[in-house]
Amino acid sequence: MRIKLNSIFVNDQEKALRFYTDVLGFRKKQDFPVGGARWISVVSPEGPDDLELVLEPNGHPAASAYQSALMQDGIPCTALESADIRSEVQRLKEKGVVFTIEPTHAGAVILAIFADTCGNLIQVYQQKT
Amino acid sequence: MRTRAFRQLCRARDLLADVRSAHVSISDAAREASLSSFHFIRRFEAVFGETPHQFRTRERLTTAQRLLARGHSVTDVCLDVGFNSLGSFSALFTRKLGLSPAAYQRGLRRSIYIADWTPHPPMCLLWMGGPDAIAIFEKTLRRP
Repeated sequence: MRIKLNSIFVNDQEKALRFYTDVLGFRKKQDFPVGGARWISVVSPEGPDDLELVLEPNGHPAASAYQSALMQDGIPCTALESADIRSEVQRLKEKGVVFTIEPTHAGAVILAIFADTCGNLIQVYQQKT
Repeated sequence: MRTRAFRQLCRARDLLADVRSAHVSISDAAREASLSSFHFIRRFEAVFGETPHQFRTRERLTTAQRLLARGHSVTDVCLDVGFNSLGSFSALFTRKLGLSPAAYQRGLRRSIYIADWTPHPPMCLLWMGGPDAIAIFEKTLRRP
């Protein structure tokens, strides 16, 4: 058994696809209709190619409540790894991304937290060598 | 962005999201965030990816979809989510979702019933199945 998919709720799948590809730089892996919504996943160009992040609609009331509550308390819904967090943060800021936590040393990692414009906070971190 | 400012922005967003209570103006929400309206709109868009007005419109239509799915009449839903004119509500709903509120409600009656409504087949059925699983879902689970 292995981890193959991770999913996050988003409040607008089209907008999320644009953010996760155009801004974060991920690549669209799957995109097909599912009932009234879409099955959209992205992968990192840095690999691995079969580890997908699913951008799942938050149509169910519980999903939007979950998103809202986490965001209100400043809690990220997932974490992404970077090899160079400071240049990553700079690159994202130049694209207009808002950070709620600037790069901060936290034990074995340096972490930062940003808003994904789709109802989530996302953590990005770098392992200290 | 400081934690306190971020929390204030979230509270302002929650005020705007409460479309079934008293009307909250953009100025009211900006005050909650301790920002001028101009800076509030800019900051809101940077964090949430849409303007406060766009956000509220989307919240109103999402709430309308849920109420329609629960069988409320189009007129009741229109008033409930803060529209004064049935014509404006129907026109906006149709423009954003591609079908009228009445047509949307009729379409849901042909769908499988899921408690409290979800607008799509349950994802857990489809995690690994892809398009083939969707075809099976459409064929076997939806009522004719």
